[in-house]
Amino acid sequence: MDDYMIGVLSNIGVVSFVALSAYLLLLTGEISFGQQAFFAIGAYAAGIATALWGWPLALALAWGAVSGGGAAVLVGIPTLRLHGLYFSIATLAFAEMVRILFELFRYQVEIDGELVGPNGAEGFRGIRYIFDHNIDAVQFLALIYSLLVAVLLGFVLLERSQTGVAFRMIGEDATLAGLQGISVARHKVLAAGLAGALAGVGGGLYAHLTTYVEPRIFDVMLGVHSLAYGLIGGLGTAFGPLLGVLIDIGLLESIRPLAGYRMIIFGGIVAVLLIVRPRGLLDEKLVHRIGRLFVRSWPAKKDGRGKPA
Amino acid sequence: MVDLVQNTIDGLMIGSSYGLLALGFTLIFGVMRRLNLSYGPSVMIGGYLGTVVYLQFGAGPLTVAAAVVVGAAVAGIYVERLCFAPMKAGAAIASMVSSFAIWMQLEQAAILVLPRHTYAFPPLATGAPIELGPFAIRVDHLVMLGSALGLAAAVQLVLYRTRFGLALRAIIGNPVAAHLVGVDVRMVMPLAFAGASAIGGVAGFLVLAVDQQITPMFGMWATLKGLIAMMIGGLGSVPGAVLGGLLLGVIEAQSQWYFGPQIRDLVAYFVLFAFLAIRPRGLVGSMSEASTQKA
Repeated sequence: MDDYMIGVLSNIGVVSFVALSAYLLLLTGEISFGQQAFFAIGAYAAGIATALWGWPLALALAWGAVSGGGAAVLVGIPTLRLHGLYFSIATLAFAEMVRILFELFRYQVEIDGELVGPNGAEGFRGIRYIFDHNIDAVQFLALIYSLLVAVLLGFVLLERSQTGVAFRMIGEDATLAGLQGISVARHKVLAAGLAGALAGVGGGLYAHLTTYVEPRIFDVMLGVHSLAYGLIGGLGTAFGPLLGVLIDIGLLESIRPLAGYRMIIFGGIVAVLLIVRPRGLLDEKLVHRIGRLFVRSWPAKKDGRGKPA
Repeated sequence: MVDLVQNTIDGLMIGSSYGLLALGFTLIFGVMRRLNLSYGPSVMIGGYLGTVVYLQFGAGPLTVAAAVVVGAAVAGIYVERLCFAPMKAGAAIASMVSSFAIWMQLEQAAILVLPRHTYAFPPLATGAPIELGPFAIRVDHLVMLGSALGLAAAVQLVLYRTRFGLALRAIIGNPVAAHLVGVDVRMVMPLAFAGASAIGGVAGFLVLAVDQQITPMFGMWATLKGLIAMMIGGLGSVPGAVLGGLLLGVIEAQSQWYFGPQIRDLVAYFVLFAFLAIRPRGLVGSMSEASTQKA
C-alpha cells in the first residue's frame, strides 16, 4: 500500500466513528447536527493527554472517550425534552459554542524548548505521539480498524440486546415506547453518552493521525456530513454509515480528475439515491431480507406452513 | 450609554434582514414540515446571479435586486423538485439530507461561475449618514430596515387577507385536511417554496448590498442566521420571525462592540441554546404538533 492509500483508508476509518455516533442517535429517532463537538472534545482531550501530560496512547484515547461521553451526557440532560427540529438546532448551537470556545482556548506548556498545546484559533500543533514512539502509518491504520471492528461488534451485540431494541422502539415512537414501560429518558441519555464517547474516541484517533487539530475542522459541515453518511449507507445496520463514509470519501477521491465538478456530481447522486432509497442503501427492509437468508429454514418448519421450495 | 443606544440602532437595522431570512425559512418549514438546509445556498445562488448581472452589464441596484430574487426563487424550485416533491410522506430526514447534498452542489456551481473567493457587490445607497444628536444612522441601513419591515407586513397581509394565504395556512395547519377541502396542495407547495426563497432573496440582496461583497460562504451564513432568528422568534409565526431577527441583530451588535466577533457568535449560539432549553417555543411561536415532528 502506498502512502496515499493508507492516508485515505485512515481517514475513512476515523470519520466512521463520527458517522456511527450520529447513527446511534438516529436509531433513537433524533437528528443531531452536533456530533462534531464530541469529536472535537475527544481530539483535544486525547491530544493534551499525550502531548502535554505524557500519557500513553491507550489511556489518552480512553480519556477522549470519557470526555466526549461526559460532555454528551451533560448536553443530553437539558435537551432531553426537545424533539425533532428543536433537538437538532440545540445540538447545532452547542457544537458551535464548543468550536468557538476552542478558538478561545489556550493551554500551552513548554516542552523541549517549544511551546506545545492548544493555541486558540491557531490550533493545536505537535501531537507527536506516533512519531515519538515509532508507530508507522500502517500500524496506526491497524489500530484504527481494530477499534472500529470492536465498535461494530459492540453494535451487533447492541442490536440484539434489550437496550438496542429499546433504542429502536423509542426511535419509532417515543410515547408508545414509554407506555410499554421503557424508560425513555434514561435510554436517551444513555444513547447520547455512548454516541459522545464514540465520537470522542474518533477524535482522539484523528488528533494523533494528523498530529494537528484546529477548531475550524469541527464546524457544522462535519456534523451534517456524519449525519448524511448514515442516510446514504442505510439506517438498517451499523454497516450503513460505514458504507456511507466509504462511498463519500471513496467516490470523491476516485472522481478527483473531475475536480471542478466533484460536488455537483456527488450532490446529484446523493439526491437521486435518497429519492429511490429514503432510508439509505442498507435500509431496515434489506437488512431484514439478508438476515432471513441465513435463518430461512427454521421459521418455516416451526409453524409448518412453509412454502415448498 | 451613547454606544449602547447606537449599537441597538445598528443591531435593529441589521437584524431586520435576519428577520426576513427567518421569515422565508419559517414559511418553508411550516408548509413542508421539513428543514431545507439549501435555503441559504439558494439565496447565495441568487446573489451570484446578481453579481454576474452587475459585473457583466453594470446593472443598477434595482436590476441586481430583481436578479437576486429571481435566482433565489429558481434555485428554490430546483431544491423543491429534487429534494422535497419526490420524497415519500415519512421520509423527512431524507429530504433534509438531500437538501444538504444539493447545498454542496449549489456551492460548487457558484464557485464554477465565479472562481475568486470574493466579488464586489453594488452598494445599496450612498451618501452621508443621517445625524440624530449623538447618533448616526447609515442610509443603506435605513433602506434595509424599511424594505424588510415592508415586505414582512406584505407577507402577513398575503397570509391573512388572500385566498392563496388561506390555502397556505390550511396546509400549514394540516396538509391532509387542506387537500380534502379542495386546496391544490401539489400546486401551492412549489409556489410557497419559490415565494419563501424569493423572500430570502430580498434579505440576501439587502445584506450583500450593505456588505458590498459576496463569497461562497454566504450560503451557510444565511442558513445559520435564518435558523437562529427563526428559533429564537418561534417557529411558524411572521411577527416571531421578525422579532427573532431584530433580537438577534441587537444581541450581535452589542456583543460585537463590547467583546469582539468570536464572543459575538458565542453569545448568539448561547442565547439560541438557552431559548431551546428553557423556552423552546421562542418569543411568540406556538409549539404546535407540526413543529415537533421530525425535521
